[in-house]
Amino acid sequence: MTHAAPTVRATPSGDKLAIAIEGDLVLETVGAVQKALEAPLATKPRRVSLDLKGVSRIDASGVAVAVRLHRFAKAAGLPFDITGIDGDRKLLVDLALRGQDPQPAQAHLGMVREVGMRAVEGFNTLKDLLRFCGEVSVIALQIIRRPVLLRWNDTLVAMARHGTDAVPVVGLLGFLIGAIIAFQTYDPMAKFGAKLQVADVVGISIVRELGPLITAIVLAGRSGSAFAAEIGTMKVTQELDALRTFGIDPVRFLVIPRMLATLLVTPLLSVYASILGVLGGYIVLGPKGITIMQYLVEVRAALTIGGFLQGLAKAAVFAILVSGVGCLAGIRTGQGPGAVGMSTTRAVVVGIVAIILADSVLGSFFYSLGI
Amino acid sequence: MTQISTATPTTTSGRKVAISLRGVSIGYGDKAIVEGIDLDIYEGEIMFIGGGSGCGKSTLLSSLNTLRAPLSGSIKIDGIEIAGADEDTLQRVRRRFGMMYQLGALFGGMSLLENVRLPLEEFTTLSNDAMDDLARAKLGLVGLAAHADKKPSEISGGMQKRAAIARALALDPPIIFLDEPSAGLDPVTSADLDAMIVALNRMLGTTFVVISHELASIFSIGHRFAMLDGARRRLVALGPPLELRDSSPDTWVRRFLSRTPSGDA
Repeated sequence: MTHAAPTVRATPSGDKLAIAIEGDLVLETVGAVQKALEAPLATKPRRVSLDLKGVSRIDASGVAVAVRLHRFAKAAGLPFDITGIDGDRKLLVDLALRGQDPQPAQAHLGMVREVGMRAVEGFNTLKDLLRFCGEVSVIALQIIRRPVLLRWNDTLVAMARHGTDAVPVVGLLGFLIGAIIAFQTYDPMAKFGAKLQVADVVGISIVRELGPLITAIVLAGRSGSAFAAEIGTMKVTQELDALRTFGIDPVRFLVIPRMLATLLVTPLLSVYASILGVLGGYIVLGPKGITIMQYLVEVRAALTIGGFLQGLAKAAVFAILVSGVGCLAGIRTGQGPGAVGMSTTRAVVVGIVAIILADSVLGSFFYSLGI
Repeated sequence: MTQISTATPTTTSGRKVAISLRGVSIGYGDKAIVEGIDLDIYEGEIMFIGGGSGCGKSTLLSSLNTLRAPLSGSIKIDGIEIAGADEDTLQRVRRRFGMMYQLGALFGGMSLLENVRLPLEEFTTLSNDAMDDLARAKLGLVGLAAHADKKPSEISGGMQKRAAIARALALDPPIIFLDEPSAGLDPVTSADLDAMIVALNRMLGTTFVVISHELASIFSIGHRFAMLDGARRRLVALGPPLELRDSSPDTWVRRFLSRTPSGDA
């Protein structure tokens, strides 16, 4: 459809700006009209009027001109009136102008407000964290006293999903990290005639440190995010509320099985990653003339029971952190379609940061014990 | 909400057809749910399409809004054939209608203003200020101008539906499809929404095609009602709702529109 090009007449009369529009005021023409109004409005009139008598056609976009002038006048505290319309056109304009008064600008408190909001947010997060830890601890104690309270089937399913299904990726990463450590340390060690001691480096770093760490990071990416997404989606769809109204504690129903499953499978996966990491190291050293027996004997000599248990303890702590952070992120999921995605991201990022922090603390702790 | 008088009697003679269906069969895969639909929807009409659960009304809507091709037959919107049309033609036709989904389907990460602005940003070359004004005007028409900066999650379900209608109006389409607009709304909010539909229909001449089995809305604002029957797999009634309720020769249609339990004669 072709439209009559609108003409805009803006006539200053004293301190009043009288605007008259003629032609079609529709989506296709409203942009030009809006542009034509810019200069007259910049003259800072004290009163504005709009005459729409000459408008041959107006649609839901055309009324935007009235909205613009109304908001301009209201923002400047000026009187504004519209003439030349009646009947349905008047109704259309009146409807469009409802609630169009510009909102008063919020007081700008800048940094103080930002710091305050962050502090409150941090405080709420800490409160939720403490409450969550308390609930998990209390329910864990209840389950120890009455194991029938645990949902064993859910726990086994979670063990399969987050343990068995993670075996290939954990094994692959462990193997490759072992090979990379051997590859990177062989040349410097060989300069000192300590080729065989590369096995010590691989064994100690993999079993004490990298085996649990790789496993935990994979779990944070696979399981922590999955926990946050599953529980977060249930929160958004009110399934958590449904559980509560049944009198079922979501922590016992959803969180404990996942945390227990993760706690049980992570040390096993860590041992598995360590074994494959040690084998990965030999892939590099084998072609350098070191036999498998020489290699394994050297690794065994470098490792202590304490070192092995240190790896297991780290894996267990990481498991609690990853699963706890994932489940808590799910429970704290907000509203809206982006909320689950934000919870999932939070679960992975906070999970990995928590793992690294815990590793630093535990590493220092075991070192101070001489383990 | 401003009180608007309800539906005016509809005469179909001499009116221009906005949407035309001839021999349309709809369904999934090869399985037809409804066959042989012949229906003309006139410009400026508020047409309700309804029927029992599973009768195919939502499937028909997805064929009308070009998301699902009909199994057979012809569907013309503003004279443009969309059954079997290429993507360019469908895109052209999509500018001729707006759509409101049952749950609003507003983009949750955007404010109401941004939701209404989106089609303007994609399909016009207006300045930012002009797009803001247009979006505010459309939110004003549905009574939501004061909530322009809120996110969909911050407003009620009824307000979300009104915002979805504002978004459907963004490009001033001559046709708007509404999928179950009253579903989940309280009677007052539902009546407000009906009044708004009538107001927009009267003021802008917009054609409304409403998928609904909300009898109160059908009787109060519907110019005509088209009823599908899944069991007989066809369009079983077409006409002014009150007339169909009182004098349709089809027992199922009278029972449906008078809300008579199936056990009663």
